[in-house]
Amino acid sequence: MKRTHIVLLLLVAGLMGTFVASITSTSRSVGFAVAFADPGTEYKVSGTLVTDMPIEYDPQHNTSLTKFHMQDREGVVHEVWLEKAKPTGLERSESIDLYGQANGTHFRATEMLMKCPSKYNEQNHLVEADA
Amino acid sequence: MEYLGEWLGVAYAGRFLVALAFVSALVATGAFWKGNLHLGRRAYLTHAGSTLGVIALIFVLFFGHRYEFQYIWKHLNNDMPMRFVLSAFWGGQEGGFLLWMFWHNVLALFILRRADDWQREVMTVLSSIQAFLGVMLLGIYFGDFQLGLDPFLLLREAPNNIGLPWTARADYLTAIPQFADGQGLNPLLQNYWMTIHPPTLFLGFAACSVPFAYAVGALWRRDLTSWIKPVLPWAFFAVGILGAGILMGGAWAYEALSFGGFWAWDPVENSSLVPWMVLVAAAHLLLINRNRRQPTALFSTVYLSILSFLLVLYSTFLTKSGVLGDTSVHSFVDSGILPQLLAYLLAFVAMGHLMLLEDVGSRKVYGGLAMATLGLVAAGQPALGFLTFLGVMAAAAVRAFRKEFKGGQDEDALWSREFWMFVGSLLLVLGAVHITWQTSVPVFNLFLEPFAPLLTWAEGATGLAFLGDLAQHDLAPGTDLERTYHVVQVPLAVLIFLLIGLAQWLKYKNSDIKTVLVKLVRPLLAAAVLTGTLVVTYNFATHEIPRVALLFATLFAAFSNADYIVQMWKGKLDQMGSPLAHVGFALTLFGAVLSTAQKDIISQNRIGDITTLNEELSNATDLLMMQGDTLPMGPYFVSYQERRQEGIHVMFDMAYYDRAPMAYKAGDIVVQEGMVWQALTDHHASATFDEDVETQWNFLPFPTPAQTGRATRWVNGTAGDELFALSPRIQLNAQMGNAPEPDTKHFLFEDLYTHIKWGRVTPPETDEEGWLGGQAQEFVVGDSMFVGGVLLTVDSLRVIRDDERAERGLLDDDLALAACLGLRRGPVDEVHDPLYIVRGNTVVPDLYEAEGWGLKFRVESFDPEQETFEMTVWEHESVRRDFVVMQAVLFPQINWLWLGCILMTLGSFLAVRFRVRQRKSTLRRHG
Repeated sequence: MKRTHIVLLLLVAGLMGTFVASITSTSRSVGFAVAFADPGTEYKVSGTLVTDMPIEYDPQHNTSLTKFHMQDREGVVHEVWLEKAKPTGLERSESIDLYGQANGTHFRATEMLMKCPSKYNEQNHLVEADA
Repeated sequence: MEYLGEWLGVAYAGRFLVALAFVSALVATGAFWKGNLHLGRRAYLTHAGSTLGVIALIFVLFFGHRYEFQYIWKHLNNDMPMRFVLSAFWGGQEGGFLLWMFWHNVLALFILRRADDWQREVMTVLSSIQAFLGVMLLGIYFGDFQLGLDPFLLLREAPNNIGLPWTARADYLTAIPQFADGQGLNPLLQNYWMTIHPPTLFLGFAACSVPFAYAVGALWRRDLTSWIKPVLPWAFFAVGILGAGILMGGAWAYEALSFGGFWAWDPVENSSLVPWMVLVAAAHLLLINRNRRQPTALFSTVYLSILSFLLVLYSTFLTKSGVLGDTSVHSFVDSGILPQLLAYLLAFVAMGHLMLLEDVGSRKVYGGLAMATLGLVAAGQPALGFLTFLGVMAAAAVRAFRKEFKGGQDEDALWSREFWMFVGSLLLVLGAVHITWQTSVPVFNLFLEPFAPLLTWAEGATGLAFLGDLAQHDLAPGTDLERTYHVVQVPLAVLIFLLIGLAQWLKYKNSDIKTVLVKLVRPLLAAAVLTGTLVVTYNFATHEIPRVALLFATLFAAFSNADYIVQMWKGKLDQMGSPLAHVGFALTLFGAVLSTAQKDIISQNRIGDITTLNEELSNATDLLMMQGDTLPMGPYFVSYQERRQEGIHVMFDMAYYDRAPMAYKAGDIVVQEGMVWQALTDHHASATFDEDVETQWNFLPFPTPAQTGRATRWVNGTAGDELFALSPRIQLNAQMGNAPEPDTKHFLFEDLYTHIKWGRVTPPETDEEGWLGGQAQEFVVGDSMFVGGVLLTVDSLRVIRDDERAERGLLDDDLALAACLGLRRGPVDEVHDPLYIVRGNTVVPDLYEAEGWGLKFRVESFDPEQETFEMTVWEHESVRRDFVVMQAVLFPQINWLWLGCILMTLGSFLAVRFRVRQRKSTLRRHG
C-alpha cells in the first residue's frame, strides 16, 4: 500500500469524523411547544415578531434586556426575553431565529438572528401616484 | 403614445449592446470551439466592446440622474455624493453581473494578447461563461418566466408598475414629483469599502475562471501536464486577489458595520472562503506537478481547479437565490432569476464533470443521464431531480478516476516537499468540505423534504431517532456557530500551519530530514517562548488549549518562513513570494485568533446599584451613559458629551480620559460597603479600599445626617487628562432602518472598538408644556426605576387618614390610597405620594406633580389582591438628560491580522511575477 493511500485513508476517516461531529452539533429548530415542554434545555425556535404587541426596551432599567412577543411557525405566541440590547431593525424583521430556553412563562433567548429586508434587493415599490 | 423627456435612445442602444454582447459571446464560443481563432478573437473583441459600452451607458445614466430607468432610480438619489457612483453601479445584481463580466474581459484580453497555445480551449470556456452571464442581463419575458434582469428597464415598464395610472401620462416625468429623485443607494453601502471590496472580490471570482478554463482545456486535449506551467501564475493571481477580497470584506465588517468583529462564519463569508481554500489546494498541487518530471495526483489537480470555480458559482447561487433564508445576516432575496442561476450552476457542473471522462461515448451516456434527471425537475420533483443529477456527476467523476487516472504514479519520498504539500492541500480541502457542509444545511433541508415519509418509516423500523430528525427537514446549523466551526477548523488549521512551517525547508524530490530538523530548531524555540509569554500575559484557560496550539502553530509557521527569507535572501525577491505569503497567512490567523480569544468587553454596566435592583440583569455588556456623566470604563474614563448630526449620521461624541488615582482630602466622607468613613489625611486612593483603610480612613459609627448627606461612594480612580475622542454613530437610513456604525481607536497593539447599541436620533416628543413620557407601567412595593436622572423607588402603599383629607382636597366618602415614592437625585432625598382616589364607583384621576423634580405621576389603577398598581410617569424636558447605550471592546494584537493580509497579498504577487518570468524564460529557451 502506498503512503499516499494511507494518508488518503486517514483523511477519509477524518472526514467521516467531521460529519459525525457536524451532525451532532447540528441542531433542529423546534416550536415553542417543544421548548416549553422541556424548560432549561437549549433550543432554536423560529418565528415572526408579533407586531401588534409592544417591544419593551428600557435601557435605563436594564441595557441588556428586550422583551417582545414572537409567534412560532406553528402559530404559538410567547413572550421572549432577549438578553441583549434591542437589535436595530427588530421592528422590520421578516423572521426571527431564537436560541435559548423556556423559563416559566417566557422564552429566554441568549442569541438571536433576524432576517431583514435585503440591503441589496430593497423592495422599492413606487407608490401609486395621483394621476 | 410618446412619452416626454425619456432618454429612450440610451435604452435602445443599451439593449442592443446587451444583445450584441450575448450573441457575440455565443459566436466566440462556437468559433473558438471549432478552432477558428480569427473569428473567435473578433467575436470576443466585439463582446468585450459591447459589454464596455453597456457599462459606459449605465454610467451616463447615473451621471445624468435619469430616474426614468429603474436601475438608476433604485440606486441613486440627488443627495448621494457622486464619489459613491461606483458603489451604486454594483449595488444591484445587474451591476454585479456586469462587474464580473468586465473582469472576465480584462483577463481574457491578457490571454488573447499572449501567444498562448492554450488560447483556443481557454477562450472557448471563457466565452461560454460570458454567454451565460450575458443571459442574466437580457430581461426577456416568456409569459411569466423572466430571463435575465434588464439594466435598461424603464420604471414604467417594470412589471409592478405596468397598468398604473401614471404610466398613461406622457408627461409623467415632469408631472409627478416622485420621478425627480430616486430611491437612492442604501446608506449602508455608501462607504469606501463598498467601492473597493466588491471589485476586488469579483476580480478574484473572475480569476477563478481561468484555472477552470485551463483544466477543462487540458481534459479536452487529454494533455494533463502541459497546461500546468501556463496556468500557475493565474492560479496564484486568483489566490492573492480572492484572498485580499475576502479579507477586505472582513475589514469592512470590522470598520464600518457593527457586527462586533471581522469574521462571523456567516454563510456569505463562508461561501467566498471555500472557493479560496480549494483554489489554494489546487494551486499547490499544480506547483507539485510543475516540479516533478513524473506528474502525480493529476486527477486531484484537475478536479480541484475545476471545483474552485464551481464553488464560486455555488456561492453566487447560495447568496443570490434566497435559499439561505434565515441563516445569514447578509440576506438577499430571490430576484426572479433563480432558475437561471441554477441552470448556470448545473451547466458548468456538468461541463466540468463530463469532461473528466475520456471517451465521447461515456460523456454522452452520463450527459444523457444528467439530462434525464432534469426531466424529474420538470416533472415537479426538483429535489429528487437535483439529487440524482449530483449522483450522476459523482458517478462520472468516480468512473473517470478509476478508468483514466489510476496507476502509473511513482511514490513521493517521505521527506519531499511535494508529499507534505499534498497532505496540506488535502487538509485544506477537508476544511472546505466541512464549511460547505455546514453552510449548506438549508440546501440539505430542501433535499431531505421528498424523503420525509421514507425517513419516518425508517425511524419506525429501526428506532433510530436521528432518522426522525432528518425527516423533519428543518435542520439548523449548531446554536453556537463558533463552536460548530472551530471544533473542526482549529485542529485542521494547527496541522496546516505546522506543515507550512515544515514544508518550506524541505526540498523537492527528497531532503535530508536531519538538516531540516536543525533548521527548524530556531523557529520552534522562538514560537514556544512567545506562546509561553502569551499564555502568561493573557492568562489563557485550560479549555483554550486548542487555541493556544493554534497560536503556537501560526507563530512557528511565521518564524520558520521568516527565517527562510533571512537565510535564503540573495538580494532577489523572486523566490521570496512563497515564504512571504506564508508569513502573512500565519500572521493573519495569529492576529485573528489572539484578538478574538482575548477580546475584552470593557463596557460593563456599573452605574449605581442597578444590578441589585433587578434580578433580570444577567450579561450586561453595554454601558448606559447619561449625557455629561463621566464613568469608568476599562482602562479609561469616558464621558458622553454631545449628540450632533452630520449628513446622514447622528454622531455621539465620547471623550476618553486617562485613569488617574482619586485624590481625597482630609475630612472627606465616603461610603464603602454600607459604612461611612472619613479621610484622615490628604491622599491618593490605592487600587482597593482595603489597602487604604488602616492608614487613611476613620470609621464613623454614628454619622450625622449632614455627614451622610455629603458622603460619596468610594472610588479608586477619577478622570485624568483627555486622551482622545471617538464618535460612534447611527446612520439614518429610511430604507433599512437606522444602523449603528462603530468608531475605533487604533493603537499599535490594540484597538478600542465602540458602537452605539441604543441611542436617540431625535429629541423625544413632548406636549406643549414640555412633558414627555406618559406610558402607564405596573409597579409593586420595592420596585425602582430611573427617570429624568432620578432614582425612583416605591417605598410603600398607605391608606389616607381622615385628618389628611382636607389638605389633600378629598371628600369625606372618598377612598384614597397613597403610593409613597422615594425620589433621589444625588444627595437630595424626598418622598412624594400621588393618590389613587375612588369616589363612589368611579376613579377620580389625580395628577400629582413633584415640585422641583420635573416629574408628574398619576396612579391609574390598583389591584388589592396582587398589591400592584399601574402608574403613569411623565418627566419634564428640563430635567431630562439624553443617554445612550454603548458597547466597547478591546481587541488586542489585531494589527498582526492586517499586517498579515498585506504580506500575504504581496507574497502572492511576487509568486505570480516569479512564475510569469519563469515561464517567459522557458518559452525563450524553447522558442
